[in-house]
Amino acid sequence: MNSVSPLATQYGSPKSRRRIEDHGALTGQGVQPRNMGYPDNTTAEGEADEVDKLKSKILTAWNNVKYGWTVKTKTTFSRSVPVYLLGEYYFLRLDDQIDRFQKDFVSRVWLTYRRDFPALEGTTLTTDCGWGCMIRSAQMLLAQGLLVHLLSRDWIWPDALYTHFVEMEPVRSSSPSSMAPFSPSSTITAHTSRDSLLYMHCAGGLHQDQVHRNILRWFSDHPSAPFGLHHMVALGSSLGKKAGDWYGPSIVAHILRKALETASVVPELSVYVSQDCTVYKADVEQMFDRVDPQCDTGTSSGKAVIILVPVRLGGENFNPVYKHCLKEFLRMTSCLGIIGGKPKHSLYFIGYQDNYLCILIPITVSHTLIPAKTTFP
Amino acid sequence: QPFKQRKSLASRKEEVIGIKAKFPTKIPVIVERYSREKYLPLLDKTKFLVPKDLSMMQFINIIRNRMNLSATQAFYLLVNNKSLASMSLTIAELYRDHKDEDGFLYMTYASQEMFG
Repeated sequence: MNSVSPLATQYGSPKSRRRIEDHGALTGQGVQPRNMGYPDNTTAEGEADEVDKLKSKILTAWNNVKYGWTVKTKTTFSRSVPVYLLGEYYFLRLDDQIDRFQKDFVSRVWLTYRRDFPALEGTTLTTDCGWGCMIRSAQMLLAQGLLVHLLSRDWIWPDALYTHFVEMEPVRSSSPSSMAPFSPSSTITAHTSRDSLLYMHCAGGLHQDQVHRNILRWFSDHPSAPFGLHHMVALGSSLGKKAGDWYGPSIVAHILRKALETASVVPELSVYVSQDCTVYKADVEQMFDRVDPQCDTGTSSGKAVIILVPVRLGGENFNPVYKHCLKEFLRMTSCLGIIGGKPKHSLYFIGYQDNYLCILIPITVSHTLIPAKTTFP
Repeated sequence: QPFKQRKSLASRKEEVIGIKAKFPTKIPVIVERYSREKYLPLLDKTKFLVPKDLSMMQFINIIRNRMNLSATQAFYLLVNNKSLASMSLTIAELYRDHKDEDGFLYMTYASQEMFG
């Protein structure tokens, strides 16, 4: 396997200074990473079997080795150049900016492989280890879209479990094996929304924390969740994919489109997927104009469209001519990030510093967390 | 086996000269499948004589139709197996910028990688 975990993804010049790490390492090795914002009562089973615990730890460790050899290192950033994160930028020479960057980073939704969820329809599969990373990446991207749409780009998750993960390291050579080559195919995504007042429109005054919880709940690994793995896989069947298959960026883009079409939770949001890298303005405008019967107001106010552009950025390898363009893209405030990437593994790219990309890796294996309904008044 | 390896440079050059003499308004294009492509079918031919003013968009649609691809199926034509061309460029413009030394314009088609 080629996979040393892409804690840092590098393209362009091989001289490396630091690594950018997802916050998998800071929450401890994934057994129960962020609990998706839910109170931790699902795992608190009083006298949880020590044997089971050990077994699950071993399984988790094995999966991490198998699917994405995770090398735990401190994250190190350079102070001299700004780091961009989905349109925001931070100068890490100032302490308050470091703090803001960390808060911003941990407020992004991070989804990973999970196991022990209810079996997928028509199969005995209770895990997506080894095949679900593309769907996980797509979910993260959609989650980011929903955060921006229902809350705002500036929204920070106050309860985020985070420690200080940014470490400054002036000079350091890191082994080339930890660098993932940037791979040819990826999906680029932009988010456009006509007015920024839409959040009150949809959230209807709900407490922000509640909105956030709702968003996370829509991604539960449960058949009833509108953007959960079960539903995503079911939608993929019409595109010729079944549970256990490997998915491509283009396919998951269409799955996202269908998921938004069928979901009733955010009727004012839709997804446009370009064909042959071409976005037809008229088609997008038409999506804004379409009056949704489920919308009480019957107007197009608050409408938003996520534009997904599936591309291929090279033949065998990533073509460096796209480097500049990708960076520019991640500097756009309407950018939701990029999914795709490394050979075999899909990643979610959300920012960069210099020639290094910030990524969230969906490879760590976690227990399925079923949100206890009672915790959601 | 790729077209370039099947024929020597000299014979390919000769072929282009022949084609240009016979079809002065057409451009000789070689379209081949990416070597690691697993999802898209093989085309029944590799040599295409393309009208100069045809746009990349139109050309892609012709190939897509030839392979009976659905609208949601990923399909990319990479010029010289490297980069995508702008859809609005004409074949003549692409030829001007990217033609091979033998006189053909080379394109590779591929879908997308699948990830697990």
